[in-house]
Parts: sequence; C-alpha cells; structure tokens
Amino acid sequence: MIRFVVQRLAWGVPVLWLVATVTFGLMHLVPGGPFDQEKRLPPEIKANIDAKYHLDQPVLTQYLFYMNDLLHGDLGPSYKYLGRSVNDIIRDAFPVSMQLGLWAVFISVVGGGGAGGGAAARPRSWTDHAGMFLATAGISLPSFVLGTFLIMIFSYRLHLFPAALWEGWRYGVLPAVTLALLPAAYIARLTRSSMLEVLHKDFIRTARAKGLAEPRVLLKHALKNSITPVVSFLGPLTATLVTGSFVVEFIFSVPGMGRYFITAVTNRDYPLIMGVTLVYAVLIVVANIVVDLVYTWIDPRMRIKDH
Amino acid sequence: MAGSGAAEGQDPRAYKRIIMTVQRLIQSDPRITISGGFILLVCFSALAAPWLAPYPFDLQDTQSILKGPGPQHWMGTDRLGRDLFSRLLYGARMSMAVGIFTAAFAVLFGTIYGAVSGYIGGKTDNISMRFVDLVYSLPDLLLIILITVTIGRGVLGIFLALSLVSWVTVARIVRGEVLRLREFSYVEAARAIGAPHSRILFVHILPNTLGVLIVTLTFRIPAAILAESTLSFIGLGITPPFASWGSMANEGWSAMKFYPHLILFPSLILFLTIAAFNVLGDALRDTLDPEHRMR
Amino acid sequence: MNRSIIIGAVIAGLALAMLFIRPDMRAPNTSDERVFRMTLSNEPPTLDWNLATDSVSFTVLINLMEGLTEYDEALRPRPAAARSWEVSPDGRVYRFHLSEDARWSDGKPVTAGDFEYSWKRLLNPKTAAEYAYFLYDIVGAEDYNTGKVHDPESVGVRALNDRTLEVRLRKPIVFFPSITTFMVTFPLRRDVVEKFGERWTEPGTIVTNGPFVLDEWRHEYKLTLRPNPYYNGPRPALGTVVMFIVNESTTALTLYETGDLEMAHLPPEAIAAYLGKPEYITAPLLRGYYYGFNVEKPPFTDPRLRRAFSMAIDRREFPAILKRGEIPSSFWIPPGMPYHNPAIGPPFDPKAARTLLAEAGYPSGLGFPTVTAAFNTGPENSLIAENLQAQWKRNLGLDVRLDNQEWKVYLQGLQTDPPPLFRLGWGADYPDPDNFMNLFTSTSGNNRTRWKNARYDELIRSAAADPDPARRQAAYDEAQRILLETDAAIMPLFVATQNWLVKPYVRGLRINALELLDLKNVHLERP
Repeated sequence: MIRFVVQRLAWGVPVLWLVATVTFGLMHLVPGGPFDQEKRLPPEIKANIDAKYHLDQPVLTQYLFYMNDLLHGDLGPSYKYLGRSVNDIIRDAFPVSMQLGLWAVFISVVGGGGAGGGAAARPRSWTDHAGMFLATAGISLPSFVLGTFLIMIFSYRLHLFPAALWEGWRYGVLPAVTLALLPAAYIARLTRSSMLEVLHKDFIRTARAKGLAEPRVLLKHALKNSITPVVSFLGPLTATLVTGSFVVEFIFSVPGMGRYFITAVTNRDYPLIMGVTLVYAVLIVVANIVVDLVYTWIDPRMRIKDH
Repeated sequence: MAGSGAAEGQDPRAYKRIIMTVQRLIQSDPRITISGGFILLVCFSALAAPWLAPYPFDLQDTQSILKGPGPQHWMGTDRLGRDLFSRLLYGARMSMAVGIFTAAFAVLFGTIYGAVSGYIGGKTDNISMRFVDLVYSLPDLLLIILITVTIGRGVLGIFLALSLVSWVTVARIVRGEVLRLREFSYVEAARAIGAPHSRILFVHILPNTLGVLIVTLTFRIPAAILAESTLSFIGLGITPPFASWGSMANEGWSAMKFYPHLILFPSLILFLTIAAFNVLGDALRDTLDPEHRMR
Repeated sequence: MNRSIIIGAVIAGLALAMLFIRPDMRAPNTSDERVFRMTLSNEPPTLDWNLATDSVSFTVLINLMEGLTEYDEALRPRPAAARSWEVSPDGRVYRFHLSEDARWSDGKPVTAGDFEYSWKRLLNPKTAAEYAYFLYDIVGAEDYNTGKVHDPESVGVRALNDRTLEVRLRKPIVFFPSITTFMVTFPLRRDVVEKFGERWTEPGTIVTNGPFVLDEWRHEYKLTLRPNPYYNGPRPALGTVVMFIVNESTTALTLYETGDLEMAHLPPEAIAAYLGKPEYITAPLLRGYYYGFNVEKPPFTDPRLRRAFSMAIDRREFPAILKRGEIPSSFWIPPGMPYHNPAIGPPFDPKAARTLLAEAGYPSGLGFPTVTAAFNTGPENSLIAENLQAQWKRNLGLDVRLDNQEWKVYLQGLQTDPPPLFRLGWGADYPDPDNFMNLFTSTSGNNRTRWKNARYDELIRSAAADPDPARRQAAYDEAQRILLETDAAIMPLFVATQNWLVKPYVRGLRINALELLDLKNVHLERP
C-alpha cells in the first residue's frame, strides 16, 4: 500500500509537469498580454516592463526561467498585484477557500448522501419525492441565482445570516450552502440510484433473510457497496471545492482563491495563472490517489494488483 | 465503436426487449409521459420559436423598457424593451442545444474512454487516467477563451468549449464502476468461457452501469445549461443580441429585488426543464433496471 | 468494527477541523461612532504610487498621501504639500515651495528631496512604471526613461534645498500644477523603499504623508485606515475608515441596505427605487464613451459615411437604457472640464444621414457591405451595441454585425488590426482638455482610428502651451469640429456618471468628477 502511494505520487510528477507545460503554452497562445489596457502604454515603457519580467525573451526561454524558479519553489511575481508574489497570494487566499470548501464538502456529503440513502430506502415514498425535489432544485439554478435567493431569504428578510463579507463562522454559512447545493444534489441522485441497484443484489437479500435490522442492512451493506460512484465524484469535487468558486466568492465577497481562476486569466497574470493551476493540479493528483485507495478499501476485490 | 455493433449483432433480443419495455412503461409510468412530454414541448417551442413568438427576439421598444408582465408583453420586457417571452422561446434553442449536445458528447465519449480504461486496467489505465487528471487540471477559462477566439461564441463555440472540459468527469465515474464490476463473478464466468472482450464490456459490464449513466446524463444536461450561464456571468456567454436562458438569468439576477420578472421567468423555465430531465431520468432508470422492474 | 471507527474518526476530525480553522476576524465595529465603511470595486493592484495606474488605487492613495497640489471643488489645482509655486516668464521652469511643517507618518519632515527621489524613481527604466510618461515633459525625462541616457542627474527635477523643488520643462505647459495632483508624482521615502524592497507598501512598513495611514490590508478583502497623527492639517474626524473589496455592486447594495456600509455604489437596476431619496447622489464623471472608426478600412475611408453613422444615432436613448443619468454627447470635451462646448458635434438627423449615405454611393443603403461593430464584453457595452445596431437599422436601413471579445483579446485586436467600428472609453487623468484631445493626435499611441490631421495636431500642440483662455477655447473648438464634424473620426455617445448611496448621517463628503473620494473632511452625525 505504501508502495502504491509512492508510485502514484511519482506518477504525479510527469502529470504536473505536463499541466505546467500545456498551461504555459495555452496562456501564451491566448491573445492579449498582461500589460494591454485601455490606456495604451508608449512602446518605450512597454519595453521597460517587458524587460523587467523577461517578457522580451522568446517564450521558450521564459518557460525555462519559469521551470527553474518552480523547481526552487518560487511561483514568481504577480504581474497584476505589484510587489506581491504568487506564493504570497496563494498563502493568503487558499486557507479561506479551503475552509469554505471543507464546509461545503461536509454539507454535500452528509446532506446529499443522507437524502439519497433515505430516498432509496423508501422508493416512491414522500421522503423519496421530497428529497429528489430538493435535489432538482439544487441543480436547476445557476449558483449566482441560488446565492442571491439565499441572501434575499436568510439575510434580507429573516436576518439570520450576514449577506456577505468574511468576519466569522456565521459569514460562512450562506456561501458554503450555495457551494454545496449542486454537489449535494448530484450525490443524492447518485446515492439513490446506486443504492437502489445494490438493494436488489443477493447479499442484501441474504442479509435481510438472516434477520438483520433494516438500518444495519442499509448502512453497513447497502451504503458501502453503493458508494463507488460517489467516491469517484468526491475526489475531484473536494479538489474543486477547496480551491474556491469564482461566483460564490464574488457574490458573497469572500477573499478566497476561486476568483483567481477567472481574474488571473482575464488579467493575463501569467505567473498567477500558473500558480493556481498547479495548486489545483496537485490537489487533483492527491485526491485521485485517495479515491483509488478508498476503492480498494470499499471493495478488496479491486485490489491494486497492476503495479 | 466496433464493439457495440458486435454486441448488437450477437444479442439483438436484449435491445429489442429494452425498446419494448420502454413502450410498455410509457403506458404504465405516468412520469415518463409527463416529463417526456414537457421536454418535447420545450424542444418544439424552441424549433417553432419564429412562429410562436409574438415579437422578434431583438425588437427594441425604448418606450417600454423594463415593463412588468402585462397584456402586451406576457412576461414583461428587458432593459432594451425587448419582449421577454419571445426571448425565452428563442433562448430555448440555445440552451437546449448546448445542454443536450454537450451532455451527449460528454457521456458518449466519457463512457467509452472510462470503460475501456477501467476494463483494460494496468499501465493503460494508469496513463489514460493521468491524462484525465491533466485535462481536469487545465484552466477551463484559457481553453474556453482560446476556442471562442478561434471559432466565435456561437452555439458551436460554446458547445465545443463545454464539451472539451466536461467529458472527464464522466470518464472517471464510469471507470470506477467498470473497475468494480469487472471483478464480479459473472464477469469472471464470462471470461472463463472465452467471451470476447467487447462482449464482456458491452453486454456484461456496461448495462450494469446504466443507472449511474442515466443519472450522469440527466445531470450533465443541466450542468451544461448552467455552465453556459456561468460563462455569461464571467462575460463569455453567447454573443448579443442572441439569448440563452443562462444569459437571461445572468441579466436578471442582480435586479431580483427591483424587476423580479427578469429573473423569475428564466429561473422558472430552467427549473421546470431540468426537473423534467431528472424525473425522466429517474423513471427510465427504474424502468430499465432489470431487477428493479420486478417490484 | 475497525472501519466504522475510522469513519467516525474522519467525520469527527472534519468537524473539529471546522471548529478550529474558523476565521479569527474582528466583526466590523459598528459600535464605534467614528467608523466609515465603504467599498472598492476590486483589490488595489498596488499602493506603490509610482507604479499605480488605476482609480481604485488612487482612491486609497488620495487618502494616504498628499502631493504638491490637490484639487479644489472645481477641480482646479490648489496648494497642498507645496504652499506656493512660481513659474518663470517663459513658462518652462516651475519652482514649488514646500510648507515647513509637513511630516511623514513616522514624524520625519517631508522634503523636496523626497519628491526628487520619487520622480526619478518613476522615470528609472528599472522601475518599469507604466505612467512614467506623465513626466515626459520634464527636460531629459523621456531620454532617461527610454534608456538613451543613463544618468538620472540629467533629468530636470532638483531639490534646491529641503523646501524648494525646481522643475525644468522642455516646453511650456500651462497645466503642469494639475499633473502634480496625480498619484505617481507623490513624494517617496528612499530609506523606506530601500529597506523593505518591493513589500514596502504593506501596513507597518508603508510611510505616508496624508490625512490617514494604512492600518490593515487583508488582500482581496479590506483595507483599514486610521488618522495620521503627524498630518499637517486638521486631523480627520473619522476614527477608522474601512474599505471592503466588494466586486459585485449588487452585493455592495445589499450590505448598504443591511446597515453594514455607510456608502455604496448604486447599481443601475436599483436607481429607479432610490430616485428622489436624499441618500442618492449622482454626479457626472470625466469619462467619455465613444465608437471610433478605422479610417483606413472601407467603407469608412469616406468621411461622409462616418458622419452618416454618427448622425443616425439618437443619443437620448442611452440614459433611458442605462438609467444612470448619462449625459448624451456628440461633443468630446466633457462637461465639468474647462473649454467644454455643448454646441459642438453632429446633431441627430436621420434624414441628413440618409442623404450622406446616398451621396457616398449607397442610396437607401443599397449595396452597402456588412460592417462589424466591435466591443469588449460587458453588460453595459452589450446594451449600447445592441441599441446602436437597432438604430442603424431603423435610421439608415443598414445591417451592422456585432462582435464582442474578451477585454484583452479585444485590446490586442485594436492594437494590431482595429475593426472598422470599435468601442472605447476614456477617463481623465487630470481635468485639462489636453488629456482628452491629445488622444487623437497622429502621434498618440491611444489613437486607434489611424486618422491623422495636421491641422488638428497643430491646434492641440499650441493650445497646451497657451496661457490665454480665449485662444485656448478657440483652438479646442476648432479641433473638436475637425474631429467630430468634418472628419468624424469618432462618434462620442455619452458621458458617464457616478451614482452613490450615502447614509444621511454622513457629512462633509465631497464627490468630484474624477471619482476621487477625499475623506479627510468627512464626519458622522449619527441620530
């Protein structure tokens, strides 16, 4: 098992290198540069700036410069936020989005899994219909609409939670719920569907025939065996949620990292684009290793044999 | 894919049975009739928009900007005095096309990719999953801007951009399922009697992922429709003066308190359509699941 | 069962983690009577005033810093760090006299040397300051900045003593004291910059000379300002200024309505609801919105067609659509700026426009090629472009195609190959018409129309050096007529406005047409 993890981590290195290389190429292919703006700079001044950031060098040279810095753990300076390094920016923003993201993962797993499992236990009952209705509501509206609805109801009318900003745990509730609704809905549907399938398998019938209590059948046998698709989804989901969401951070004014996935690109802040992409890629790699470990734990037959 | 042809050729009865089941259950399960009917209605309205819409979608009436619902404009007007109902009808074209095509592509390609990868296993699986990690990690927005710069922000550009980033989710899920199923005893039995790989994969394994696949499909459609609205939120949605439900929701959400009709009607139609897809998905799943059918 | 224990432990761990990594921030202090909370629409890209270029940074900096001069209510420069100045008879040498008791926030005196250091740092090519060209009119400045000369001593700015700064210009500039209100010219402490390097702008290291000091800067979230104890002027009445970074104006409005802000931008869709209420403040901005023609691209090589396109637009529709009280404009120098003349510019006259179209060889638009109007993506830009498209269709019978691009892609296109019709805006850096008119001279890097007119260039050049108001007026009037009526290289559409909500207990807030919020005179009278 330790060997598996080490091997997979070793596999992560070429993946990260590819991500860095392809992203580097892509961002230089996209038209427009970091210092293009409404008030055009005189060419002499543009030349000064390009020289400062080595942008006057061929792209390949820039790439080598970047990879060299990267190997030393230096993600470079931001082109947009002058005087701040990408390391600084990520260090400031990542803890915020991670915190919000973990809340959201928790809510979506507990809420979605519970609703889906409950629905599957009593298909076509009122629990089922109610759960699936909520699950539909969660995936049928854009998050900016959902978030605004939540603000209208819970802060504007009921004064239960703050409408925006980031000053304490109460400020995290509405953004976390907004973030969690879509994955929760999906998890609920996946769980329900997968569990319905499992509930008709022989071993469940056997368990029931043996006279095991229904909750125990559901929780221990059915849930565990129906969880694979949820786990496949959960890995990348966690990576996505803890790196933040542009929309949620914007409408709730949360200083997280999700905004940079959009603004770094619109600003053509090359080092910041690279930085957030690499952080995300690392998380994806790690999350997928965890997912594969969980697979083998859920179902020993899917043993890791091919390495 | 050669495999699917082989599977059909070898076991036509299985597919015929499914078709018959669908026919039978359309009659027996009212959910299929209602939700399917609604989706067909939306598709029909989208196609027939030029005849159904009371106004052209881009006709501006600067005298009646932001009017609420009334006899002249059933759903009111937008910021340029355009008829909201007409724009919703035309917007259906964009949203349904993007939703259905993107989801179909993602599910088709993702399923084949994930299934083959999971079934072959070993180094192939490892490498192809690392490729999925790569695609997953690339910044979507760069890809989307690049695509829309090259081919424009019409239906095609948005469809391509969204498809390119959405199939990997499906691939991962299907691969997980296949990994699990390929070790089941009946699969091993099939292998033991020397069944060809394509037959094992398409006859013994994939049908068992149907439940998950249908959920994925009914989820990908709304996801694609919503992804298009997020593009609008960022400012990369469909080119004006055309509309989609997502771009209309984006124009309306900030005015929720002041001009609620701007957000109410697009939200409502989004909700109903996506609910219909989900109900249809559930009903189909219940129908097609060979064991669940017995209940 | 071992595994149940593991699951339980994981869940409990997650829950615990959430308890522990709770944000540890102070709630906004509403009990303090003297706290003023407002919003910035995005994170200030930098507080290094030599490097700053944008209005958000300027809004923060104007409260932290004081330059040689500052604006009065009418946007005329008046003494600030400089208590007076004099100009040589030939208009080429300015001498600024600093006040004796100006202090930095660490108690040290503000000297002429701090200005000299700042300006030379701004011009140093290694600083790579985008707005270095603001001082290009100083002798030797351009050569030093472009690397032709390496000796900073060749630049014509010198501290004669601690209290006197001498500036030598390469040509007479009548509005030079307006330029010294701008943030890139604020004084700077060599010791601070050299000690802390690029991070000198963080709280704790930054040293400023204005009414406030920077107390806290949580990036992408908020900045907190407190009064500067050494400020050379009346101490601000506010005890704390909190500037939250709120990107969505809808969110800012909600926060204002829930009592979490003293002041917020009012988004257009909410204006109808607040119209006529005392908290609603609207004022014009020195910001023009226009469509330019690429005069090298057919069919717009023909000035008659450009005029026809401009005259076919009823500009009164824009305020009706955008709802922010925009001022329809076919003139270019905006109201609020000296030498503004509302009578200039082509009138809305669809009939005359159709005649021009026919004269140019396209009667009733027959045979007119499909032209593309390009704009950068954005809700306001879309509305305007869609409206223009409809108006050209209605008034000229022409089909114009719309093309929108993401901002940077768009800018790249404008630089390499400007589309036949394109949208742009221009906001004033300082309130002199030269800042607006210089834009379309043949040497201006910001002139994307490729239009060149020797007479226009000559008028702009002579007006900049002319101290006589009547002659300047005549020159700018003639230049605007060439730009907008005879040659019609651009079609201005409207002048933007700013719309604010301010709580009624806020007193002493002045809003100017450069959107600079000077908070030093603000005080609160809570009921």
